[in-house]
Amino acid sequence: MRGRRAFAILTIYLLLLAGFAWMVQLMMARSYSTGFGTSATYATAAIGQGIFVALIMLETLLVVFLSPMATVGSISLEREKQTLEMLTATPITSFSIVLGKLLSALVYIWLLIAASIPLTAVVFVFGGVAPEDLARSYLVLIATALGLGSFGLCCSSLVKRTQAATALAIFGVLAVSLGSLFLIVFWQSVGETENDRQAGRRGSTPEILTYLNPFVAQADIAPVDALCVFDSSLSEYCRFRSRFVSDGIGIFNGGKGDTIGGPAPAFNTGGGAVVPVEVPIAQAAPLGAIADVMAFGAATDSIWQKTVTSWLILSVVFLLISSQFVSPTRRLHIRRRRTRKPSPEVA
Amino acid sequence: MSVIVHTEGLVKRYASTVAVAGLDLSVEAGEIFGIVGPNGAGKSTTLKILATLLQPSSGVAEIAGWSVTRNPDQVRHVLGFMPDVFGVYDDMKVWEYLDFFGRCYGLSAAARRRTIADLLELVDLADRRDDYVQTLSRGMEQRLCLAHALVHDPQVLLLDEPASGLDPRARVELRELLRELRSLGKTILISSHILPELEELCTGVAIIDRGQVLAQGRVSDIERRLRFGAVLRVRVLAVGEDLEAARVRFAADPDVASAEILDDDTIELGFRGDDASSARLLAQAVRDGVPVVTFARAASDLEELFLQVTAPDRVSVDVT
Repeated sequence: MRGRRAFAILTIYLLLLAGFAWMVQLMMARSYSTGFGTSATYATAAIGQGIFVALIMLETLLVVFLSPMATVGSISLEREKQTLEMLTATPITSFSIVLGKLLSALVYIWLLIAASIPLTAVVFVFGGVAPEDLARSYLVLIATALGLGSFGLCCSSLVKRTQAATALAIFGVLAVSLGSLFLIVFWQSVGETENDRQAGRRGSTPEILTYLNPFVAQADIAPVDALCVFDSSLSEYCRFRSRFVSDGIGIFNGGKGDTIGGPAPAFNTGGGAVVPVEVPIAQAAPLGAIADVMAFGAATDSIWQKTVTSWLILSVVFLLISSQFVSPTRRLHIRRRRTRKPSPEVA
Repeated sequence: MSVIVHTEGLVKRYASTVAVAGLDLSVEAGEIFGIVGPNGAGKSTTLKILATLLQPSSGVAEIAGWSVTRNPDQVRHVLGFMPDVFGVYDDMKVWEYLDFFGRCYGLSAAARRRTIADLLELVDLADRRDDYVQTLSRGMEQRLCLAHALVHDPQVLLLDEPASGLDPRARVELRELLRELRSLGKTILISSHILPELEELCTGVAIIDRGQVLAQGRVSDIERRLRFGAVLRVRVLAVGEDLEAARVRFAADPDVASAEILDDDTIELGFRGDDASSARLLAQAVRDGVPVVTFARAASDLEELFLQVTAPDRVSVDVT
């Protein structure tokens, strides 16, 4: 953090991110310039959404890997460099130590996140993205950074060596990002009933499987369902969203999976449950209906709050575990808090 | 004088070994107390238990009347600890390093500023105040680490092998520094397996082996108790028959158990008398016309004691 290095990294990071956004914009503009029969307003909105989704997903990927890596050495490196003993011989509490470690590492991650906001705000030029969508996405980023940062810290305090802690942290990150997706796919296929099969939908999956996955949360926020109906440039993202966000998750099942054109846009009923509604957009819907769907309140929008809450709770849990393992004499501190006056014969 | 560091029946067991086996120690306020023992004797373990960094398996350990297990927070406030091996945080300036630890002890900004200036002066690093910590030499790091342990003005200092890895000059400086700290009223516990460095410095020592105290007391007391067996080396300005005559003369003294010629001009005496009788022996020899060049104890007393009280199969002495 000290000196020019941190700011050089920040600059390179922003340049790469800007380059990426520019490439996505070129790609999408090309797909629209090859004669797509919609209005220019719709086209720029679609480009705006495309850039937004691409940037947010990339930033999520960075946060998911960078935040645990930023904290994974914080305790174990102190052990290896023999500085931890001097620290634990002072009266500061274990919780202060781990909290300080976490925040000092996360400040830089949060700086990276915050520095990208002006860049991401470029999408407002194109339209199609509301400020509250941006705010939600960044909330998920910040909470994920906190949660995975404390997870890295926890690994660091549990394991003696940084190398082992890093391996553990990578395993955890993979479990959260890829493992949870696989579990959903597994559940969808194994839990498929005869009814589901006849209705052409996947088996119902407990929603909790998606809570910790920040990619699902971002897909939940960034609603391009309407876009998916017309546009092929985001087809992979649409398939992802169809599989893990709008389809087969939650109490209610819906959607037709990744049939052509993606799932029907789902509307938030306000009760948190996802109720996909069959909107016949594909059949020459009036532009107003498309605009309605693209107005982002009409997203599935029910998972990301749970993602944020889960990571906040987990970060507290991880911090408490870490503080227990910082020093062998500092476990279950609450029990030893009793103070005793010095014995008179000695003092 | 009141007892400030006190342990009783202190035991630290690990899965397969016993590092400390019923250690009884008592150190009075204002002492420089040496803990001597071979490698693996349990010195570091004992100091870490006292510094609240290890949980003893059983037994009592108290500092300034506070139990290290029941009141670790109080103990941490009256205690400064310098571990045997330590690192420094990179990318930190010398004053920031001390400032950081000052904050850990909850010192106010004004108190920190004042203390850091004083401490840097004390450990002779005032001119390196704004240098990065990683640019300091080993001896300077050692002094900085000592300064960090003094930030909160503790009553008791625990120094684990503070002189290891230091060149002779830095060692002398460290010794001076510790004397100065003692004059400031600090009680200093210092562990070492290098004996001569403790002998000049310490008011009391405990000799530890296999996790137990073998002997404890003032250096002079222990010396007196274990006096016999001292070795005197006498260099005389003589060769051949004259040298042999000198040897016979020394051998005739009642306090001399044995007398052998070592090199061309040195006689080694097995001596069982005290200082007075060794003075008498020298005066006698000079009076008798023996041309004595040097007359000295062969090894440091503490080292001898150490060899005597520690089991021979376990001894590993770092003679410097």
